[in-house]
Amino acid sequence: MPIEVRLAWRNLWRQPKRTLLTTGAMVFSNVLLVFMISLQVGMYGLMIENGLKVFTGHLQVQAPGYIDDAKMRLVVPDAVALAGKLRDVDGISAAARGSTFALASSEDRTYGMAVMGVEPDHEPDVSSLPGLIGAGRYLDAADAAEIVIGKRLARNLKVDVGDELTLLGSGLDGSFAATVVTIAGLFETGIPDIDRGIGALPIGHFQDVFYMGDAAHMIVAVAPSLEAVPAAVAAVESQLPADGELVVHDWDALVPELRQSINADLGGALFMYGVLVVLVAFSVLNTQLMSVLERTREFGIVMALGLKPGRLGRLVLLEAALMGLIGVFAGAFLGGLLTLYFSVNGFTYPGLEEMAAQFNLPGRLHPEVTLLSLFAGPLVVFAFTLLATAYPAFRLRRLKPVEAMRAA
Amino acid sequence: MTAVRCIDLCKTYRQGEEDIKALDHVSIDIESGDIVCLSAPSGGGKTTLLNSIGGLDRPDSGEIYIAGQRIDTLSKSGLAELRLNHIGFVFQAYNLIPVLTASENIEFVMQVQGRSRGERRDKSEEILAEVGLAGMGDRRPAEMSGGQQQRVAVARAIVSRPTLVLADEPTANLDSKTSDELMELFIRLNETHGSTFVIATHDQRVMGYARRLVKMLDGRIVDDIDQQAA
Amino acid sequence: MSTTLTVSAALAWRNLWRNHRRTLIMLSAISVGTWAMIFLTALTQGMVTDMVRQGLAVLPGHAQAHHPAFRDDPNIVNLLPIPDSELESRLVGGDFVAWSTRINVPAFVASERETRGVTLLGIDPARERDFTFVELDTIDGRFLETADDTGVVIGRKLAETLETRVGKRIVVMSQSPDNEVADRGFRVVGVFRAELPSQEEDYVFVGKATVQKLLGVPDRVTEAVVFGNDFRNPEPVLGQLEGFVSADGVTAQSWKDLDVYLSTTLAAMDGFVLVWVIVIFLALSFGLVNTLLMAVFERIREIGVMLALGVKPAAILLQIVLESMLLLGIGLLIGNLLAFASVELISDGIDISMVADGMEMMGATSRLVPDLRMQDVVLANGVVLLLGFFASLSPAWRASRYEPVEAITTVQ
Repeated sequence: MPIEVRLAWRNLWRQPKRTLLTTGAMVFSNVLLVFMISLQVGMYGLMIENGLKVFTGHLQVQAPGYIDDAKMRLVVPDAVALAGKLRDVDGISAAARGSTFALASSEDRTYGMAVMGVEPDHEPDVSSLPGLIGAGRYLDAADAAEIVIGKRLARNLKVDVGDELTLLGSGLDGSFAATVVTIAGLFETGIPDIDRGIGALPIGHFQDVFYMGDAAHMIVAVAPSLEAVPAAVAAVESQLPADGELVVHDWDALVPELRQSINADLGGALFMYGVLVVLVAFSVLNTQLMSVLERTREFGIVMALGLKPGRLGRLVLLEAALMGLIGVFAGAFLGGLLTLYFSVNGFTYPGLEEMAAQFNLPGRLHPEVTLLSLFAGPLVVFAFTLLATAYPAFRLRRLKPVEAMRAA
Repeated sequence: MTAVRCIDLCKTYRQGEEDIKALDHVSIDIESGDIVCLSAPSGGGKTTLLNSIGGLDRPDSGEIYIAGQRIDTLSKSGLAELRLNHIGFVFQAYNLIPVLTASENIEFVMQVQGRSRGERRDKSEEILAEVGLAGMGDRRPAEMSGGQQQRVAVARAIVSRPTLVLADEPTANLDSKTSDELMELFIRLNETHGSTFVIATHDQRVMGYARRLVKMLDGRIVDDIDQQAA
Repeated sequence: MSTTLTVSAALAWRNLWRNHRRTLIMLSAISVGTWAMIFLTALTQGMVTDMVRQGLAVLPGHAQAHHPAFRDDPNIVNLLPIPDSELESRLVGGDFVAWSTRINVPAFVASERETRGVTLLGIDPARERDFTFVELDTIDGRFLETADDTGVVIGRKLAETLETRVGKRIVVMSQSPDNEVADRGFRVVGVFRAELPSQEEDYVFVGKATVQKLLGVPDRVTEAVVFGNDFRNPEPVLGQLEGFVSADGVTAQSWKDLDVYLSTTLAAMDGFVLVWVIVIFLALSFGLVNTLLMAVFERIREIGVMLALGVKPAAILLQIVLESMLLLGIGLLIGNLLAFASVELISDGIDISMVADGMEMMGATSRLVPDLRMQDVVLANGVVLLLGFFASLSPAWRASRYEPVEAITTVQ
């Protein structure tokens, strides 16, 4: 160990209580930061994944303007064929989908609902909904007169698998559209709005009933991962006709509330982290200033012996850096242990379940330990530790040996 | 009248491997109004004896009486009470409370005793004049010389008219001229107020002022000289 | 004791300023911490209040009465068993800030171009004016005038989707109790704006009597809603409402039961405030204990002198604790003032429309108006003083336990 490091290390332990308390403040903040950041990383990932997987997908091809106002006549022409073409792009799953509103009547009840026309063969690749069938089965033929609806909706309509539903709506040309469909299955996503308000028909039947021809309203596509989405958007764009009649939107544009609610949450969290870091910085500033002031006489002596003030400044910085390093590693270690425990056992608190449901999250959160979540917080604290020490270290430059030696 | 009576005091310290006998069967009576010097080389037991008399330290065995009251059996807070009301202390230099001015340092004990503000102010002004620091009451210790600080300490020790004033090496940090002045102050105060002074020192000059000189060595009293008679 | 207190307080105060740099740094830390505690709490409370306000606006009412099956099956079949005129005459006798009865059923609206599912509200406009989420002054056209008004009022977003406007006709369809689709053309008489786009999409207002006629349910409604003084405490109005309707087998519920997300969020807030305050305090406590330890350590000798002079250990303890409380007190004062000032500075709210959709997902609007609540301020200050007191006991205890002889002879 170089002599300076050894000196700095020993200086730290001249006041063991003070050093322990100061590093204690760092470790406390770091543990908290590691845990919170891990929790957020885990939560945000899940929010995006859960928010998209049910039916939004990673990107969609639509007619311009459909994103702002989902009007019946803003269609994607020859949609099933285009979806097939997109499926040929490496790594991309795609399915055509039509979407409209209809009045669904059973024997006893009538409700308004959103009706989707889906490709039974390809919908399972872009949506988790077909996998969430709780009773009956998913659609299997492209033009059968059958439907799957949410369990809540079925309960409200007082119907079950095998019963018939009458759908009333308007066709692409504004004319009256009606059909009778058999309920093939019921799904349960756990998201109330979906379970009580949505149904899916095979796209062939959908196109017939609503006079869509071969058109649909969107092509939903999924890339291998969220990171691959920008590349997938470009790849899909290159497959579209060049006339600008169709556009590609990524998930961020489709459900801006996802990223925005994350950003809003992140904003609040960053404020809290900032305050914690500043408080630790004050603690370090206090300690280092005290340790410099009480050694004034000693510094005067070594300066009289010929040591330059710059080196003394570096010594003080080195002391802070050593404390900071203990803080980083102890914080990352303890924070990592805590996070690991909760990532295995899950983390919850009273009321979390109800609030999490609003964001399609489970009631137990599993924080995710990553290199980023382990070290991002502690390294920021470390940087502020050094910054806080800059002032006491800088003061040393003004020290005059003779005066310093006279100091009590 | 006997101000202090010590009977067969023993006190042993452990220092490293060795047992040090700081007090080895010490018995001594001090008359009221006397000025006594305890002199001994370092580790001779004078500070231990002084602290035991002042209730700052407890002997392992033996009995101590101050003005007829046994004190070695008192509780911690009983001892605090005793020091507050009956004993004045003067330590080596720098024993004033640095955030308080000279007057406030003098008033401090009276304030803790619960005396009124008017009484405190009158007494502190009077005593400041008596120790030759009239008009300096507003200074803080850092603004005074060592001799002046020690006079304030003496003023603080005697202001509440204690039965006994104990001084441990009061001149240790003072030059010879200032030491003389301090001792003259002790004599004068002894004469005007009749206070009993016990001074632990190894300063020859201080010993010269005492009426009675008690010499100690290795925790025992080896000589007890009435200097007045001499 | 009182003299001990004055002496100790005077000494504590002066000692505090002996090392003014250290005291100032610690004061800055306490002030920043306190500011952050109160400011962030006010912002979060503001958001939650906004969420509850928005949620209550569409519910609406602090308490509601429904047919027991209505919540699970919000259908016209599940009408209140009490005739509307009878219900109204009962509610008049209650001590409510406002009340109303309405028909609230799912429906379907169609223009010549589009169709949409909506929530149809059949209301008595005279009763609803005060608590609807519709901003009446921004309405295009007019609001409903009477319960038998034959016009319809829809939201701006819905009007855009249906490509309709004031003066044009739309068709409203809903189920009648015998499961016939009842439909009727309505003239759009007003287009409203609301704070949340979803409110503009979902709600369609028509006259209560008109809907009763359309659905064939004369003098019947699906819900009764009542308002009290304080949405945080709906129990008094809930109790009254229950008294009016429970004998008829009608369920009365407060908004807390009706919207679990809102009520848990509101409840979780108090927990969050406490956790946040304690976390900040803990981050501060290291510095506080450190400062006190240093202060005691620097003063061992004079503490020894005081003990030797006869000052009781308890008085030394008191002095150090007082020093800590003074430090905390001043820091809290500055921190509170800073927080009040910054809340005042943004009392008109801050614009967070860049995350507007995200806020809507939480149920809040894009203008964040801080809500500084006295009970949170008291909590923050109380926790800091209480925990600060306990944190300072250890250094203070240490100081009071010194042996005077050893303390005086300590070399520094």
